Amino acid sequence: MIAIKISFKLNGKWVEADVEPYKRALDFLRDDMGMTSVKEGCSEGECGACTIIVNGRNVHSCLMLAVELDGKDVWTLEGIIESGETYISEAYADVGAVQCGFCTPGFIVSTKVLLDENPNPKEEDIKKALEGNICRCTGYARIIEAVKEAARRKRGDAS
Amino acid sequence: MKFNYAAPVTLEELSELKKGGGKLFSGGTDLFVKMRAGVLKPDLVVDTKKVETPKLECDKGLRIYMNTTYTDILKSGCARKYSLLMKILLEVGSPQIRNRGTPVGNLGNASPAGDFLLSTYVYDSKVIVGPSMREVPVKNFVKGPGKVDLSDEEFIYAVILEPLEGYTTYYEKVGRRNSMVISIASIAVALKIESGVIEDARIAYGSVGPTVVRFTDLEEKLIGERPKKELFESLAMEYSDRVKPITDVRASAEYRKKLTGNLLIKAYLNMNL
Repeated sequence: MIAIKISFKLNGKWVEADVEPYKRALDFLRDDMGMTSVKEGCSEGECGACTIIVNGRNVHSCLMLAVELDGKDVWTLEGIIESGETYISEAYADVGAVQCGFCTPGFIVSTKVLLDENPNPKEEDIKKALEGNICRCTGYARIIEAVKEAARRKRGDAS
Repeated sequence: MKFNYAAPVTLEELSELKKGGGKLFSGGTDLFVKMRAGVLKPDLVVDTKKVETPKLECDKGLRIYMNTTYTDILKSGCARKYSLLMKILLEVGSPQIRNRGTPVGNLGNASPAGDFLLSTYVYDSKVIVGPSMREVPVKNFVKGPGKVDLSDEEFIYAVILEPLEGYTTYYEKVGRRNSMVISIASIAVALKIESGVIEDARIAYGSVGPTVVRFTDLEEKLIGERPKKELFESLAMEYSDRVKPITDVRASAEYRKKLTGNLLIKAYLNMNL
């Protein structure tokens, strides 16, 4: 099978790559691009551990082909942190919303999409925004608290 | 699993590739799950997103095109008056699924549990089938679970929902949790009431038969009547008797029959008629 040339923006920088037509975005980002924050969980769009941002929207990289990234603006947790947007991950750590941590990158990515759109989410908005991310450790209470804390920090409110 | 990828830019190419055995996808939220599970093993997947189509048109009914995602509709101002549709779409999957998945894909998949599919029955929708652009009412288009009226070279180009003006609506999906769930049973109801009398009634159920079901003879029993609890209770029993659900991993047939009637009574109680 002939590899397909793609060119896209990964975490703010244009990159080029040759990808097999059947390679998933998840495998390409992890194995070829070294973006190991993108986790393989269920591989069927249930758990959200592989969540990335494509053109401003959060999507499952396990249900997407690498070739579909062509021309897109793609963000993973690595890029969010490197660009200095650490207020979400810090809020998760400070509130204690991380236990084993496997789901955390996906949660932070979905949280970023929520807060970029709605800097003052109500609890219901938070639950709706995170309904595609599953955490088997925390029971979600701390995660919801962390999103509220991150929202306060983004708005610049004293906590 | 190895396969090839094509992304045609015209509808003619798309049709040719499908005729040759290619599997169409837009968001991949159904196809890639089935391929992962080994249910489908295509040699070629055909990405429809390079074909330029409008997203939505709201002037003559709501037209939803092949690459329009659930999120596109939820964020669109002009679709907002389709309030029952909005309620249903908010319950589809998760943000990640709604950002990629498409109503046209849900229709093509023709699962009796399809959330969008349920709405199309209440909105008396028509399917526009390419490349000929013939129009088919959705109830004739869906033939059974996963079976639709498409020949090898045909594809769904768009779906048209007729507006429901002056209707009171209700929707509920029963499952083990709210998000990401495949329903045990679902109901969508639209009632038009003029001067205290029911003028039109549409009642659709998901997951209680091989396709979404509506029984127009039972709906007609409501027309001309005042919306009284006893009326809905007796109709609920008729619906429970009429549906032919299956037993599967999610629930038994008996449970689904009981649920069918109870959902209608619950719909009545929640609609504040």
